[in-house]
Amino acid sequence: MSNHRSSWNVPGRAKLDRRALLRGLAGAAIGLPLLEAMEDHRAHAGTSPQRFVVFFTPDGSYPDASAGLPEPWATGTSSNFTLGTITQPLAPHQSDIVIIKGLDNKAAMDPTGPGDDHQRGMGTMLTGVKLLPGSTQGGCTTCAAAGWASGPSIDQVIARTAQSVGTMTKLSSMEFGVSNGGADDWGCMVYSSAGNPKPPTEDPTLAYKALFADLNADPDGQKLLIAQRHAVLGAIMADAQKLHGVVSAADWMKLDQHISSINDINKGLDTVVAVGGQCQQPTAPMAYANPEDASVFQAIGALQMQMLVMTLTCDITRVASLQWTRSVGNVVMSWLSPGGSPIQTGHHTLSHADNTDTASQNQIIAINNFYATQLATLISQMKSIQEGSGTLFDNTVILWCNELAVGNVHSHNDTRYLLAGSCGGKITGGRMLTFNGDPHNNLLVSLANVMGSNLTTFGDPAYCTGPLSGLV
Amino acid sequence: MNANTWRRWFGLPAIVVVSAGAACVGEIGDPIGTPGVQPLVCNGTTISPGDAPVRRMTQFEYNNTVRDLLGDTTQPASSFPPDEVANGFNNQAATLVVTDLLVQSYMTAAEALAATAATNLDTLVGCDPTAIGAAACGAQFIQSFGKRAFRRPLDADSTALLTGVFTYALAQWDFPTAIQLVIQTALESPRFLYRLEIGLPDPSAPGVSKLDPYEVASRLSFLLWGSMPDATLMAAADADALGTPALVSAQAQRMLKDPKARDVIQNFHDQWLQLDQLATASKDTTLYPSYTPSLEATWKAETLAFVTDVVIDQHGDLGTLLSAPYTMMNASVAAFYGISGGPTGSAFVHVDLDPTQRAGLVTQPSVLALTAHSNETSPTLRGKFIREQLLCEPVQPPPPGIVIAPPPVTPGATTRQQYSEHSTDPYCAKCHNLMDPIGFGLESYDPLGLWRSTDQGLPVDASGDITGSKDANGTFVGGVALAKRLATSNEVRACVVAQWFTYAQGRPAASADACSTVQLQAAFAAANYDIQALLIALSQTDAFLYRNTVVPGM
Repeated sequence: MSNHRSSWNVPGRAKLDRRALLRGLAGAAIGLPLLEAMEDHRAHAGTSPQRFVVFFTPDGSYPDASAGLPEPWATGTSSNFTLGTITQPLAPHQSDIVIIKGLDNKAAMDPTGPGDDHQRGMGTMLTGVKLLPGSTQGGCTTCAAAGWASGPSIDQVIARTAQSVGTMTKLSSMEFGVSNGGADDWGCMVYSSAGNPKPPTEDPTLAYKALFADLNADPDGQKLLIAQRHAVLGAIMADAQKLHGVVSAADWMKLDQHISSINDINKGLDTVVAVGGQCQQPTAPMAYANPEDASVFQAIGALQMQMLVMTLTCDITRVASLQWTRSVGNVVMSWLSPGGSPIQTGHHTLSHADNTDTASQNQIIAINNFYATQLATLISQMKSIQEGSGTLFDNTVILWCNELAVGNVHSHNDTRYLLAGSCGGKITGGRMLTFNGDPHNNLLVSLANVMGSNLTTFGDPAYCTGPLSGLV
Repeated sequence: MNANTWRRWFGLPAIVVVSAGAACVGEIGDPIGTPGVQPLVCNGTTISPGDAPVRRMTQFEYNNTVRDLLGDTTQPASSFPPDEVANGFNNQAATLVVTDLLVQSYMTAAEALAATAATNLDTLVGCDPTAIGAAACGAQFIQSFGKRAFRRPLDADSTALLTGVFTYALAQWDFPTAIQLVIQTALESPRFLYRLEIGLPDPSAPGVSKLDPYEVASRLSFLLWGSMPDATLMAAADADALGTPALVSAQAQRMLKDPKARDVIQNFHDQWLQLDQLATASKDTTLYPSYTPSLEATWKAETLAFVTDVVIDQHGDLGTLLSAPYTMMNASVAAFYGISGGPTGSAFVHVDLDPTQRAGLVTQPSVLALTAHSNETSPTLRGKFIREQLLCEPVQPPPPGIVIAPPPVTPGATTRQQYSEHSTDPYCAKCHNLMDPIGFGLESYDPLGLWRSTDQGLPVDASGDITGSKDANGTFVGGVALAKRLATSNEVRACVVAQWFTYAQGRPAASADACSTVQLQAAFAAANYDIQALLIALSQTDAFLYRNTVVPGM
């Protein structure tokens, strides 16, 4: 079992170990006062918190060079570059973005790793370690059946750091999704620890309920409810902890994850979300009978982005992700008409098109361009939220990532990433960084560093040489 | 949650296919390791239960359980985050992970359930706190309610959990609040939400533990009812009367007569036949003007009524399920088929169909519609459905570099002609020959599942062919002939056993389950493939009655 979930190692601070504390409570029926003592209270009034957002899109970032199309991401020099056919919608934000080329996802390239290329890409993209062996057979004849990822994803590591530096938020992180098609290892990128995925929430109604439903509730009623919830949740956690050492190791992993979630919710209960100013309760979304229907794809995407922005604005959490579909996502974007006629084929199907199939390659570019447009919208919305002397966007870094590099060959080398936002002035925008096969784990280390963690390595140490050179 | 199309390419893992013998000795293909056949001896002396991962309640099970525990029929779990699907089912132990959102949903659901339950406080607690004292009445309630909620008598820890909350809440607030918080605590506890099993370790047989009577009772009730044990089953556990396969079998037979068993039969077939995909099976109304979205519910209801009639009411066998020339109809179904003088109400009744056109599940509109596109049939999807769901043979996904788009509807060319490229191109043919020729045999059914004799004005050619199967190979003409072939195939029978095993155990069968599988197949065969007999047999295996001895993990 990992230590990541159960203890918080904070430089310069006493280590708070939930498990040790709960173990100490074994005889007490109600662990309430002690659990409260574990909580930090928010400090840093006047300084703006920093946020990390993962923006995932599937099925490959760019066509192979031999398709003969102009470079679709960016051309030029590090500081003087021209955006390409995919990234063009980000032109208004060019001075705020960093385009990163040439990193290899070495954990996905590890020949001993189980899973097909989509599974591997998805499970390693944010974790930097190969998948666990498992029972899910991928779409490949020779690869071993795969399980979940074998380590935590970087956003969850950052979330734990953020939750422990005197800055409790109601939720440690929030995973938004759009048409995710089920939480198997093709559909999960966020992991709280080895074997414990955090699947995204694709239904806006559920997301709204978790985030905003009780935002404007009657304060006295809330106070009573919170006291009763503490009594119940505290007792359940203390009792469930007694099952440790009673059930099997594998079962305990699952229960420990459950206790961890209860702990998250219990800790968040006392966090008062300060409604007012730019933090306003959004309108409750309509109910979608089938959130995976292509006809509501754009509408749900827009809703999820609005809620994501308000979640960060209200400081409900500081770590969020938006997962568009899934690796092998196959939405038919019939609202796009590259070359004059609407796309009639699913994204994943198109991503398999041969390099000589220029029409399909152009449709792939149009789809990625659509996603860049969504990212540009998200950035604009964050720029519209004033925060201190700057904006919400200034205190954020967004990572745009994909489980593959080139779709039709399922590659994991020369992957593309895009960072948007300076994270409180720590990342200089308007740059294009080109590497020559450096491990992408280095990028994950740097992202943790700008978010306040002092990690020096992340994921499989064999595939990490430290922070990404030249980023910060 | 609706599986997207791609996920359907990744079906079940290779399934153990066994030549079932009465002596319970067979041969088994290793489902995981290198191909080859190993001799297998199942003599009953070596107990091999396989993995027994902890099971979390599904939405279906949660709704049923709070109905039976509290009489609450509001189905609160239906608004929980969806249960994820793996191995074709949404109850697979490894996939049912927990998220903050789910835990939050458990919390709000428990609060609402407790508040509703407390509106009838006197009946709920069954004692008078003013007469015997709040503490005594609370203690009484905790023991009776706690035992039902945790599905076993309360041990010291469980008593301390519920008593601690009760005492604290009574001091802080009042008796009704304390009772409500006890209910909330129970419903949010892992002791309620998971089936925790420790077993009865036996020093003389290390590695394998018999389940204790309460664990067996829970396994039985969740297998056959998708819910908690009833009073009779709990009494049997109290009396330690679930300790032999015969005692378990007797309970199973009783439980199958309960209406709750119908819900499980429907839940299994809903998933096995992928009926949830009907929700996105809309049809092109310019080509098929009789289509309305309400048909999706009609198709599904017909199939679920049919399987319930065959399995429960007729005590039917797999052959009947796969080839019966009748269906269950209400007014909506009759209107869809265009039956005149058929049933007029909402209740389902037995209606004989033209035996040259219809035979069991494979020829039902639900299956035929969900395996068709909106504007044309799909011989590929239909063949793939039969290959993967009925023969348990996963089909490889298309290789990289292929654009997989169905051929356009073309006036003057039948769908069959349009799909012929798959067999003329040897690259495509390798896999498509395993699917399309089966689907061609169903060309007499249009994308709505209605009978047709022409396609694009040309006569339908419904000749089909099965290749590459273990015992169902050969040509045939039409859906009825296909259905009859499948209805007598040992490979299909073994596949149905495997599907039920996966559903029952919350995981697919693995090599350790070889003897459990042999035992199931032999029992199924001995009962002439009666489905209820298979369900009872599922309660008799090593996988069901035993577990690996728990090695507590740190």
